[in-house]
Amino acid sequence: MEKRDGSSYVFKKETVNKLLQRHFKDDKTQVSDDALLLVAELLKVFVREAAARGARQAQAEDLTRVDVEHVEKVLPQLLLDF
Amino acid sequence: MLNNAFSICRLRAAVHYTVACLCEEVAEDKEIHFSKQAIAAISEITFRQCDTFAQDLERFAKHAKRITIKPEDVKLLSRRSNSLLKYITQKSEELTLKKTEEKAKKKKTSSRTSDEHVGPAAADSEDSNMA
Repeated sequence: MEKRDGSSYVFKKETVNKLLQRHFKDDKTQVSDDALLLVAELLKVFVREAAARGARQAQAEDLTRVDVEHVEKVLPQLLLDF
Repeated sequence: MLNNAFSICRLRAAVHYTVACLCEEVAEDKEIHFSKQAIAAISEITFRQCDTFAQDLERFAKHAKRITIKPEDVKLLSRRSNSLLKYITQKSEELTLKKTEEKAKKKKTSSRTSDEHVGPAAADSEDSNMA
């Protein structure tokens, strides 16, 4: 994990590569450098979106703590959006 | 087999750590707390979402008769949301711009000492020039 752009955390390139490589059907499939950075960016947006939607759900219920049930409630729409 | 399980564990740990950091950031923004279970749930979701991403990306590349996944495939992956597509396209353009700048600098740096933007790659090329 590294801190890029000075503001936000991003997944490491090696981590993203290993995550993707695990699920390729063809072992010959490779990922270009730029594509790895973009997938890392995409994953960052995904995580932040999940966290933000969970937070909103908790706030709507007048709570100050996000719990699993809040994440569960926003999960279907989150997966439809990505 | 055991080695494989170990590496998956490490991978999960890496994802969990980054997710926790990102959640902390959101928590500060929104002035709210995340329970440990919620963070674990989000990291598990992210880990599994990678399955879908990887399979889609591989198919996109295959459809374009390539075996290397290119930025265009990632753009296609983010097609479902307009703003996300815009964001990814913008990032991709930034990356290509950076690359062309670096290339231009590399040509110029033969006289200058290492430039912080270009980094080790330029230093290497200078070494090879001197040798």
